[in-house]
Amino acid sequence: MGSTGKSKKRLSTARELTRVVTDYYLECHRARAEGRPVGWMPPMNGGIEIFYAMDLQPVFPENWSPVCAAFSLAPGHFEISEGMGYSRDLCGYLRNIVGYVHSDMNGPGVPLGGLPEPDMLMSFGGGCVPAMKIFQILESRFPRAKVFRADVPQVACEDIREHHVDYAVSEIHRLIEFLERTTGRKLDQERLHRTVELSDAACRLWDEIMSLRRCRPAPISASEIGIMFVMVTRQGTQTAVDFLTRVRDEVAERAEQGIGVIEDELVRLFWDNIPLWYNMGLFNEFEGLGGVVVAETYSAAWSLRLDASDPVRALALKSLMSYSLVSCLSIERRKEMVLKACRDYGIDGAVFHRNKSCVPITLGQDEIIRALDEELGIPSVTIDADHMDSRNFSHAQFKARTDAFMEMLLARKNG
Amino acid sequence: MHPHAAMEPFLEAVQYRRQRLEGAVSRGEKVIGYFCTYTPVELIHACGFLPVRIWARTGPAEKACAQVPGFICPYMQLSLENALSGEFLFLSGVVQAYTCDVACGCVNIWKATFPDLLVHSIPLPYNVSPEAGAYLRSCLEETVEKLVSAGGTYSDEALAESLDLYGRIRGILSALHEQRAQGTLAMTSADLNVVAQAFFAMDPVHYLMMLERLVADLNSCRSILAPGIPVLVSGSVVEDAGIISLVEALGLRVAADDLCTGLRAFTPASAAGQNPLEQVGNRIMKRFPCPARSRQSQRIPLVLDLVKSSGAQGVIFLFQKFCTPHLADYPAVCGALKDAGIPSILLELDGNAGMEAQALTRLETFAGMVGA
Repeated sequence: MGSTGKSKKRLSTARELTRVVTDYYLECHRARAEGRPVGWMPPMNGGIEIFYAMDLQPVFPENWSPVCAAFSLAPGHFEISEGMGYSRDLCGYLRNIVGYVHSDMNGPGVPLGGLPEPDMLMSFGGGCVPAMKIFQILESRFPRAKVFRADVPQVACEDIREHHVDYAVSEIHRLIEFLERTTGRKLDQERLHRTVELSDAACRLWDEIMSLRRCRPAPISASEIGIMFVMVTRQGTQTAVDFLTRVRDEVAERAEQGIGVIEDELVRLFWDNIPLWYNMGLFNEFEGLGGVVVAETYSAAWSLRLDASDPVRALALKSLMSYSLVSCLSIERRKEMVLKACRDYGIDGAVFHRNKSCVPITLGQDEIIRALDEELGIPSVTIDADHMDSRNFSHAQFKARTDAFMEMLLARKNG
Repeated sequence: MHPHAAMEPFLEAVQYRRQRLEGAVSRGEKVIGYFCTYTPVELIHACGFLPVRIWARTGPAEKACAQVPGFICPYMQLSLENALSGEFLFLSGVVQAYTCDVACGCVNIWKATFPDLLVHSIPLPYNVSPEAGAYLRSCLEETVEKLVSAGGTYSDEALAESLDLYGRIRGILSALHEQRAQGTLAMTSADLNVVAQAFFAMDPVHYLMMLERLVADLNSCRSILAPGIPVLVSGSVVEDAGIISLVEALGLRVAADDLCTGLRAFTPASAAGQNPLEQVGNRIMKRFPCPARSRQSQRIPLVLDLVKSSGAQGVIFLFQKFCTPHLADYPAVCGALKDAGIPSILLELDGNAGMEAQALTRLETFAGMVGA
């Protein structure tokens, strides 16, 4: 069983994130109160920008799960969903959100007021199976919500061809038509263009921030990765661009002044797979031994660009690529990405999270571990855990493995 | 000796599938493997390849454990174990319809581990619409391109012939399933499972001849209503007929199945279309759906219909352990059955461990509950 721990933040702008998060959920509830249509959708697709361009309120149940984990609400939700017959072998996001929507969703103990009930559900075919199944279950839970049944080809980035893009474009057009028909609002093309520009600006800033982590000492670590909240929930808004600009400026300033995450950065680490949302403090545990997690796989999901000259095509490509970037692309391409990151960021060792709640990212890790060792001589350690369910994580085992790993890395450094 | 002499070739086809496929390859044939029965086998066949479903085994996954975590379904884990043990050296490639995350990830591992194989994944659409149909045709055309690049040849005429061949096979298999539902099939469900497994492992021309002989043999038997309380078996991959025999030995009669290695693979037998490629696409889109590719609201009525039409008085869920699509739908399907007054039981198949005594006890209890 893993203990719950929050990560230690160094950035003042990262501390500002609390306000950004609160504002987002306040906006969601305000939308409901004001009669602005609320739609629940999976993250990492082009529907977000369309919602913002039409003044609709997107809500991301998948993103709510890390909030539940951080507030220690997930175990209660697991109890409810498992009581309904959902197996413990299912993804923790699924079990958490099913438990949550079958509990007192907006009760007094629920942080941030919980989620407002949906007027619409963007129920996808595409992405991973648990993400699809979550929305099918939500369809039953919220029978009055209007459902858009979307379809996104599950194709690896390197295999995307014109027919995949054409189909994704036709799905975006169908989504726009659905939203216009359901809400009575008309999409303003100029507004969409601007929204996609903002989304692209956020991606560019994201890449800049991530690139600054190449500096020695690293100005920020994975413990600040909560800033990705804006990439999930606020893409296409000025809020995201403004926040990320402030983060970029602060990180750049720290890099310029040589201010690191810790005073004496001895070892630079890479993290593969989703973090343990209920114990983000684990990243700080490496710091106590001179290690800093300076790069990770998961942040690559937002490392793409959007060409605003053709907004619909840009959003179609985003929908096709975002999921694939962290999951279904070939192992060869994943190896390339991880090896490149390890070279670029000067990685000394890699931590692979064998994540019971995320099979797509976990499958193929062993090939990447071998390649890191054989091609770059970078050692790795594997930890068995779960990004949502602390019952699948042993802190003692984590400590035993990572302490020995850090000791070995430090010995290599000194030897 | 099997009571039906015509069953012997099917048993042998399964038992000696590897040796026979190796023999075929030594005679110049090329074999393409697939995992999921959504894979368009007619297309592979029309391009001059023999499509065979990749099989797993029972026992420990020693070699595969170095490449995949223990929490993926035993079928994918143990088929990789087979591959790493040299079972599939005869394959020229793997062509796979994208179904679940585990199949996708494992296909990527096959691609990385066996770089000389053609490995192609077909990202099927989830929706049924003219746009989805057009997109699917493009995906099938891309698949043809890949197969041609691997030494195949394609023509619409060849595809029409393959469609006809597979349509006839699926038509006969569907008819056998229908007779089973009516209780008039003069063979056990365990045998029907073997017949299905042979389909996945051999040349369809030869298979059709065997099937026709079997049908003639069955027709010569006096049709009697099979004994036992009728039940439906629902799940994904059930390769080993042993579990079906076990169910039947408890006084139950498997009257119908909702398995991807059973009825779902053969329904419908064929579909109309303006050209052969469109017929392939239309059949995929009209297929009896798997939970990985369909919504609960779409599948549950079909499962209930199957229960009703077969007269099943209970449902046995046989899931591959860790199978997310089935496990995620399970509470809703189970609830719908409960509302309809149909009892059910869930057993998870763990190919590593074999059938546990505990599962047998549970099945016995279930049999008692439905009155067997």
